[in-house]
Amino acid sequence: MAQAAETETGAETLARHVRRFREFLATTDREALAVVGVMSLALLSAFVGFLLVSAYTIVPFAVFLGAAGYGWIRYQGLTARLLMLTMTVSTIVILLLIITFIFYESVPVLVYESTTVLGVSVPGLRMFTQPNWDAVSSPIRYSMVPMIHGTVMVTVIATVVAAPLGIAAALFLSEIAPAPVREFVKPGVEILAGIPSIVYGFIGFTVLSPWASDQFRILGQGTYLFVGVVVGLMALPTIVSVAEDALNTVPESMKSGSLAVGTTDWQTMTSITLPAAFSGVSAAVLLGVGRAIGETMAATVMLRGVPRITDPLYNVFYGQETLTSLIARNYGEADGLQMDALFVAGVILFVTVLVISIGSQYIEWRMRKKFGGDV
Amino acid sequence: MSEIESPQKGAETAQPRQTTTGESDEQLRAEWTDYDFDGEAKLAVEDLDVHYGDEHALKGVSMDIPERSVTALIGPSGCGKSTYLRCLNRMNDRINSARVDGSVQLDENELYQEGVDLVELRKRVGMVFQSPNPFPKSIRENISYGPRKHGTIDTGLLARLFGRSDEESEERLVERSLRQAALWDEVKDRLDDNALGLSGGQQQRLCIARALATDPEVLLMDEPASALDPIATSKIEELIHELSREYTVVIVTHNMQQAERISDQTAVFLTGGRLAEYGRTEQIFADPQSQRVDDYISGKFG
Amino acid sequence: MSGATRTRLIRSNTTTAVAVAAISIGIAAVLFGLGFAAMFELIALTGTLVGFPTLTLLGALLVVQGGAVVTFGLGSRFSVVETNPRPDAGAVAAVVFALVWFVGGGIVASQLFGLGLVGWLPAALLTGGVGFAVTVLPGEDIGSTAPAGAVAVLTGLVFLSDLVGAQSVWGLGWEQQASLTAEFMIPVLTVFCALLTGWAAAKAYGGFGARGRRAGAYLLIYLNAGAIVTVLFSLVAFTLFKGLPGLFRGVAVGAGVGPQSTISLFGFGFSFSLPVAWPFVMNGVGLLNEFNGVLPAIVGTFWLVVGAVLFAVPLGVGAAIFLTEYAERGRFTQVVEVATNGLWSTPSIVFGLFGFAFLIPRFGNGKSLLSGMLTLGFMLLPLVVITSREAMLAVPDEYRDASAALGVTKWQTIRSVVLPAALPGVVTGVILGVGRIAGETAPILLTMAGGVFVPGSQTANVLGGFQFTASPPFVANPQLLEATSALPYQLYALITAGVGASGNVGNPDEFRWATALVLLAVVLSFYAVGIVTRYYFRRRLNYE
Repeated sequence: MAQAAETETGAETLARHVRRFREFLATTDREALAVVGVMSLALLSAFVGFLLVSAYTIVPFAVFLGAAGYGWIRYQGLTARLLMLTMTVSTIVILLLIITFIFYESVPVLVYESTTVLGVSVPGLRMFTQPNWDAVSSPIRYSMVPMIHGTVMVTVIATVVAAPLGIAAALFLSEIAPAPVREFVKPGVEILAGIPSIVYGFIGFTVLSPWASDQFRILGQGTYLFVGVVVGLMALPTIVSVAEDALNTVPESMKSGSLAVGTTDWQTMTSITLPAAFSGVSAAVLLGVGRAIGETMAATVMLRGVPRITDPLYNVFYGQETLTSLIARNYGEADGLQMDALFVAGVILFVTVLVISIGSQYIEWRMRKKFGGDV
Repeated sequence: MSEIESPQKGAETAQPRQTTTGESDEQLRAEWTDYDFDGEAKLAVEDLDVHYGDEHALKGVSMDIPERSVTALIGPSGCGKSTYLRCLNRMNDRINSARVDGSVQLDENELYQEGVDLVELRKRVGMVFQSPNPFPKSIRENISYGPRKHGTIDTGLLARLFGRSDEESEERLVERSLRQAALWDEVKDRLDDNALGLSGGQQQRLCIARALATDPEVLLMDEPASALDPIATSKIEELIHELSREYTVVIVTHNMQQAERISDQTAVFLTGGRLAEYGRTEQIFADPQSQRVDDYISGKFG
Repeated sequence: MSGATRTRLIRSNTTTAVAVAAISIGIAAVLFGLGFAAMFELIALTGTLVGFPTLTLLGALLVVQGGAVVTFGLGSRFSVVETNPRPDAGAVAAVVFALVWFVGGGIVASQLFGLGLVGWLPAALLTGGVGFAVTVLPGEDIGSTAPAGAVAVLTGLVFLSDLVGAQSVWGLGWEQQASLTAEFMIPVLTVFCALLTGWAAAKAYGGFGARGRRAGAYLLIYLNAGAIVTVLFSLVAFTLFKGLPGLFRGVAVGAGVGPQSTISLFGFGFSFSLPVAWPFVMNGVGLLNEFNGVLPAIVGTFWLVVGAVLFAVPLGVGAAIFLTEYAERGRFTQVVEVATNGLWSTPSIVFGLFGFAFLIPRFGNGKSLLSGMLTLGFMLLPLVVITSREAMLAVPDEYRDASAALGVTKWQTIRSVVLPAALPGVVTGVILGVGRIAGETAPILLTMAGGVFVPGSQTANVLGGFQFTASPPFVANPQLLEATSALPYQLYALITAGVGASGNVGNPDEFRWATALVLLAVVLSFYAVGIVTRYYFRRRLNYE
């Protein structure tokens, strides 16, 4: 089916859908059609009403509930199908709403921070070309550069910590560990994923930060190094479980084939299992990177909260601010342009992580195609 | 000369006996352990028991396998013949719940004891699996995989860095193995193509070539032709016949005609993980000792 | 063919050489442990250990260890010890050793001899090159032992000499005087050398070659797995240890000690006192309270989870049914898949921003419980879709075919065959997802955050809050539209409020740790239940 859908042109697809819709109209009885129509219209108007902040939103919503209730009794199959279609569409709608709203809210500050390049005014460019964030004294500037720097530092350190350890742990769980050990360690790793980030942040804040500033003779607390380590620890379970799933999909026959020519299990892992699961393992690392970028609470409580670039750039012993902690720290007192600037930080985060997510899905899809769906 | 260490070891050759129905296991055992052959016993198996968890998959099997010959293992599904085969190179170690008791000796070295080098064992006892399982690499890499990992054609990082590579010895090895597996003529122009692009029969012969590349002494085959069409099957059968001049081949098969065509001796496993009869192939097929084996061979069950 | 190059099939495991390698691994383990103990100040670098100054002991152990490893390599080289070395130690080892020697040489040249860039760079390149050459040229036995052992010996000699004292500090010349101290560097170097030589000793133990590499790799992988489990346990144990005193302060058991509860039935109020008083989870914060607690936050978290589940589970399961059962695979399902995966990986703070921009103006223009519920519901939704889909795809097609063959409609098949079979998977996914959102702080920070110290009177009473009004929207629940607290937010607020602002509670530190413990307990119990449920259903599937 997927093959067919890929080869046919847009017009053909449309024609097919129209034909199917006609068939549906012709084969369904009048009353059912009416119910379906009322439900769709009511839901649509409720949605529009909600978007417009109308107090009367409840009216079409009540109509929708009524129609759905009636339909459920009379035409359960059809109603269920329509409801489920609505639910499916709503996931896409939510994503679209997120995109719309965070972009929309960030427009004013983008306009404010416009710079002229070659005679063309580029909105928002100044946020990335100069490194000053100053929301209080004139000239008021909202630069994203210090926060991007902080996010990059934390993410790089977290990835350096989490990727090798995570892959090694995944190998351990899927290939090496004896069954009793696996049954003990695997839930352990999952529970590690469950510890709330604010608890990590709290322990980091009360234990790790004072220890670090003592060890490195730092004035004050908060270093990118240890925020990175803590965030890496948080990204670790994601990497372990996704990579382990990927390693488990490598067929046993392939591993046996390698062992049967007289290789050690370690050679089999590095030469057969890991390369065969490469796509899944790299997707795991990408997901971990995404987690690290979006991690908020540990960074917020452990960093200093000064939107400045560290000096020198690679000074990991100072931790100023990341994109996420900027939002969490400033949403309270911010309004107007400053609040909009927080939305810009949100947009950067959202777009980066979405690109990473789509990228990892693409890698997996490519590899699945290459191995003919087997691996 | 005979070096079998079974209790009934003796110089007498197998001779036809009258079959009786309802024989006890002891009687059956007495008959097949009498099977004697000329030449050396490559593998000597004594009282082999295998459990998978609570399941008793193989019960007290003793049979010796002569050198440079083809030994066929036949029997209905679930009779333990594949389990037996996987004991010979300890591939059963991969299965967590498997427990093996008894003795398997390769050239008089006990395989089930502390300190056995599994890598060395599997180098000497190669294996070909039921369905072809080439690696997702090029044909060349598939063949040279084992020798490279063993370090036999690897001249080291420095040689590779400075271009003094090991291509020549690899080339010779790849050609030799592919010729042995009767695949050379079909793939010699596309050695760098992915092995997954070959047909099923070619893939299986590639797997045979891969197993031969490490210079094994014994080759275990677990229904190597079960997933193949008749033409590919006949090619594999010819190949097995050729191989038995240099190698000791043990082959599990479902197909009795195949066993009859290619093997020198045949062991019949019947349901319950017991060895029912073991002897020269002609004798097993022409005049089986037990009624149950006769029924199985003539297709009355199984 | 089979000749002299064949190694023996049976290895005897008890040669002296193997024993030496095993002892060497043991020393590495001791060094590893000592290094970590010193790093976390469990042992003092300036003090003594078993009668020797700590630093001297570490140095001596390192020298012995390095010496043992190098000796083993030489023994293998000159065939005193029977091994199977390859021509070189491998690309990974070569790169690692080259780097180690490059960095080591650079530091020695620049710090010890005070050379400038012109001086230390060539020196570092030289030592790096030597490290690489020694790893690659003389064969695997020397290549994997000599560079590692030499590092350990040199480090040990530095510790033994007076070059470095336990109090040394190297200023980095970076902003605000961050510096490397000996009290940090000595443990780190010890641990590092322990890892290097331990790996080399494990390789030697395996007799180099394929077996040795396996031994070396396994040592590191087991260590890694052990470290992860240790970190997990110490995190939980530490929180437990710090949180328990605050959590159980003032607990009393007995008739009538608990807070008054009133149940209204048919107009009759019926009051009774609980037989247990557990102030931390039954009280709010108040001036008159003898013991303060976090009841409003617990109730807030409860309602948040309920609201998010009520929103996300029907929506997510419905979408999953449509995707697996009705929609044909094509462009549409692909888009939905990309959208759900994108939603799943969207940072939680972005959900918070979205809730702030989208929900707050629509629900009374202030932070509210309802906005928090929906924001968390948005977060939970993709997880429910993904796990429910997986569970439904795992239902074998034969079930559907068997049902369809009986002439049952598609919806009935779904309702009576697919859903029951997929239920365990869906339930497990939902429980694990709930565990995740229950601990989320960032989204509710922007959408429903309440105060730092919440009085007991602000405990949300959602069920009792519904009212009917004459003006649209006709139904209102002020409780839903008010800001309330939740455990993760409460903990965050306590951290940011600092110690000074916490006059209301007697012992703020204890209060914070107890809050963290309650949060951890709530979240981990969801996970534990989820994992146990899955384990139970898998077993049932396997054995039925």
